[in-house]
Amino acid sequence: MSVTPADVARLAALAALEVADDQVPALAAQLDRIVSYVGQLAALGETGEPAADEPIPGAGFRADVVRHTPMAAGPADFAPQFTDGFFVVPRSKARADG
Amino acid sequence: MNPAAVAADTAERLDRAGSLNAALAWSPAALAAEARRVEALEPGGPLHAWPIAIKDNIVTTDLPTTCASKILEGYRSPFNATVIDRLRAAGGMVACKTNMDEFAMGGSTEHSAYGRVLHPLDGDRVPGGSSGGSAALVAAGVVPAALGSETGGSVRQPAAFCGIVGVKPSYGRVSRYGLVAFGSSLDCVSVFGRTVDHAARVLAAISGGDPADATAAAMPPLALDPPRADLRGLTFGLPVEYFPPDLHSGVRAGVDRAIGLVRELGGRVQEVSLPHTAYAVPTYYVLAPAEAAANLARFDGVRFGRRAGEDTDLTAMYRATRGQGFGPEVQRRILIGTYVLSAGYSDAYYGKAQAARARIRGDFSRVFASGIDALITPTTPTPAFKAGDKTADPVAMYLADVFVSAVSLAGLPALSLPVGRDSGLPIGAQLIAPAWQEARMLAIAAALEARLDPVAEVR
Amino acid sequence: MSWETVIGLEVHVQLGTASKLFCGCPTTFGSPPNQNVCPVCLGLPGALPVPNEGALRLATRAALALGCTVHRRSVFARKNYFYPDLPKGYQISQFDRPIATGGAVRCESPERGPISVPLTRLHVEEDAGKSIHDRFANATAIDLNRAGVPLAEIVTEPDLRSAGEARAYLTALKQILVYAGISECSMEQGSLRVDANISLRRPGAPLGTKTEVKNLNSFANVERAIEAEQARQQALLETGRAVEQVTLLFNVGTGAVKPMRSKEDSHDYRYFPDPDLPEVVLSDAWIAEEQAALPELPDAKRERFAAGYGLSAYDARVLAADRRTGDYFEAVVEAGADPKASANWVMGEMLGGVHTTGAGAVAAATLAALIAMVQRGEISHAAGKTILEAIAASGETPAGAAERLGLMQVRDDAALERWVEQVLAAAPKEVDRCRNGETKLIGFLVGQVMKLSRGTADPKAIGALIERKLG
Repeated sequence: MSVTPADVARLAALAALEVADDQVPALAAQLDRIVSYVGQLAALGETGEPAADEPIPGAGFRADVVRHTPMAAGPADFAPQFTDGFFVVPRSKARADG
Repeated sequence: MNPAAVAADTAERLDRAGSLNAALAWSPAALAAEARRVEALEPGGPLHAWPIAIKDNIVTTDLPTTCASKILEGYRSPFNATVIDRLRAAGGMVACKTNMDEFAMGGSTEHSAYGRVLHPLDGDRVPGGSSGGSAALVAAGVVPAALGSETGGSVRQPAAFCGIVGVKPSYGRVSRYGLVAFGSSLDCVSVFGRTVDHAARVLAAISGGDPADATAAAMPPLALDPPRADLRGLTFGLPVEYFPPDLHSGVRAGVDRAIGLVRELGGRVQEVSLPHTAYAVPTYYVLAPAEAAANLARFDGVRFGRRAGEDTDLTAMYRATRGQGFGPEVQRRILIGTYVLSAGYSDAYYGKAQAARARIRGDFSRVFASGIDALITPTTPTPAFKAGDKTADPVAMYLADVFVSAVSLAGLPALSLPVGRDSGLPIGAQLIAPAWQEARMLAIAAALEARLDPVAEVR
Repeated sequence: MSWETVIGLEVHVQLGTASKLFCGCPTTFGSPPNQNVCPVCLGLPGALPVPNEGALRLATRAALALGCTVHRRSVFARKNYFYPDLPKGYQISQFDRPIATGGAVRCESPERGPISVPLTRLHVEEDAGKSIHDRFANATAIDLNRAGVPLAEIVTEPDLRSAGEARAYLTALKQILVYAGISECSMEQGSLRVDANISLRRPGAPLGTKTEVKNLNSFANVERAIEAEQARQQALLETGRAVEQVTLLFNVGTGAVKPMRSKEDSHDYRYFPDPDLPEVVLSDAWIAEEQAALPELPDAKRERFAAGYGLSAYDARVLAADRRTGDYFEAVVEAGADPKASANWVMGEMLGGVHTTGAGAVAAATLAALIAMVQRGEISHAAGKTILEAIAASGETPAGAAERLGLMQVRDDAALERWVEQVLAAAPKEVDRCRNGETKLIGFLVGQVMKLSRGTADPKAIGALIERKLG
């Protein structure tokens, strides 16, 4: 098996997902099935230069001009917690600078 | 019909179609407001007073945008997608927001936090996905056209399942500004129509460059070709990889009907090969989740949307918000996307998939450079399957994308055209064109449509 | 046996654009929280980034000023990590294909003399917002005004060997960036921030394990932090312990460094090309425009001042250190003043207080006229200073001010005679000592006469007269 329960824990931490302990083995099995399936890409030979991305015609830059984007609602309307003009989040217990 | 009457009629139809669970947000009042907006416009817009259903991953200020996810329950965007502004400028009215697979991840519209969408012809079956709600509403005659989105076939596949027209434009033809991103290098706002003409007119209205999207081509809106009476002078390719010996016989018969018609209309037909086709689905299922894992990182409970684990610390809040807000398929894809980009695996998976994508694109370039004007293939390997048939095995669900993924990876325009029914279930044929050749592709489809009976049995 | 310190610096400098890197929001400093935000820099669903050409121009100009190779094609990549002031859950940066690589900065090492610090790369990225931990109890406040502000990250090779060298490099780098109009480099406003990578080794040995001290916001703190970390590592190594690869924060109050993150959650950033942004393609003509827009840089100006105007190395360095001072000096010379005298006046008087720019600025031509009056002997040097102060406030001509203040040089021998007599009579002791050979006291007597004349006398003439009287 190429995806282990330990991998699931590592990936869940990287992806900031809460995964219940009792779901981990089943999830590992599903991910393993998917990873094995996409693993068939390994059979793709190394020969031949891959074609370069075709450029998107005319896609380019924006001029350095200040432009206020009107919004139908402000952060106070859509933020989970917004106080005194700030977004508010629980403090991090893990960080020394927190 | 005047806009107010259309609005009232649409409300009534939406109400009657409620059992399909295809519409997530709509109201007679919002429809009436759309009608008033249209009444204030000069008549004569190409979509004047057309009610158009909008997939719920396209942001709107007047109706909530949830992407069929709990994490965005009740979320109201402070801005409209570019395509919404363009539809309205053309005289169109937003009819409703439509149910979908959560964050467009799925091929059956079973993965919605708000319940599955029923196939309009058979409630036990799925309408396809991920744009299943939009497809079902067009198929049920509620609206003449709808917006969906494609990352890897999410409009063509449900169009085939539901017996309507589904058009995916070239990548960059339509602005993505306001389309909630899934796989950004693949995502295309795409169109369903009751007929080719409906789809074509909507596509033309929403197309064209957008300074808010750096990946939208700086091109004028799509100019449609006049209808064609025949297909003389055109050469159609049949990629052998899309016609495996074990292809569903009803699907085969449906596509054969379209091929026969091409010949009758004077088109040449020849076999071609796209040798890297087998890599398309695995390539897609590396690249799309990799991009999705990053695109969905912004759903973190900080600035918008639903937050959980409020009274804990920051990391626990993130994990609770995302763990409780995203459904299982979305979480699976985020984890896969994280895996294929993580240290030590990135070259083997993400790097390989990028190389495979280039090969797949190269296959199409070679075939089109050899004088082929369009390809004809089945859209789906089978007609609409039963709800629950593929939910247990994610890979089985992914394989339903086998004929649509490569086109998405190559950024090409393609459409699904209903060609008849097998045991009462619609069959779709896929037309694939070179990049930026939507106008000719749509004209070809219209010529075929004029001679096809979409409800006739194919065998 | 001694230790060798190996230092590499990563400098984040704000590119001086009007709008953010990927949206039209202003980059203004000091706005109320979350005012300069829009769907793009808030990372709202459906919003998309569009690159600011001005930022890419400034980055290109910076790269050219630093002698980097500018790449015709570069790629924006996503750097994935969760932090509440990072709105999208990823930072748009550049990873394996930066806009520029190579280059070097010349500076003066306090230990090694002139050195050339090689650069690894320069890339463009967006800034994060600001987390404020002391605003609410048990909660963090987030201000996203800074989120999306364009930065260039400039990375050196690990070629610096001391805290003093790090400071010399930063001073030279800042001078170039300010000169070329790339950034104001204001550390108070956070438009220049430094991360330092530090390791110790025995001379000649392979590189040791490095640590990174993050977010240093003054050159003095860079020096202090490097010294603190150097000492910490040395103490570990000399007691047979290993240095762990960690990220550290510098405490400005205590001067100590402490680990920021533990090793366990060291990040796996999963970089990949940002699919929202096409490859950045720069044409040769576009790059040539930036090359042409590049002003003369401090090194070149210094050399030209020394060679062209016959200035000392010191004078040339002082005048070339700031672009406006250098320009002003040249304008004074161009208005006809003697270069050496102009250098002295600009350095002495202008740097000392009377400003060369802004309100109360004295026009270069006016200063040139004043210098000419001194050189012609119409006013004394001391009177010149007084006149300069006066015209900076009043805007008069130098001649007008000299007349009004009665500071034109007095050539009337009778008046000089009278002042000298008066001073000699008032200082009989000094006069005696002078006669007994303490000739340096003549200077004191001249000074007294100048005082009496309110600066209008010619000191040379007074000196001669006093010597004659005492002789």
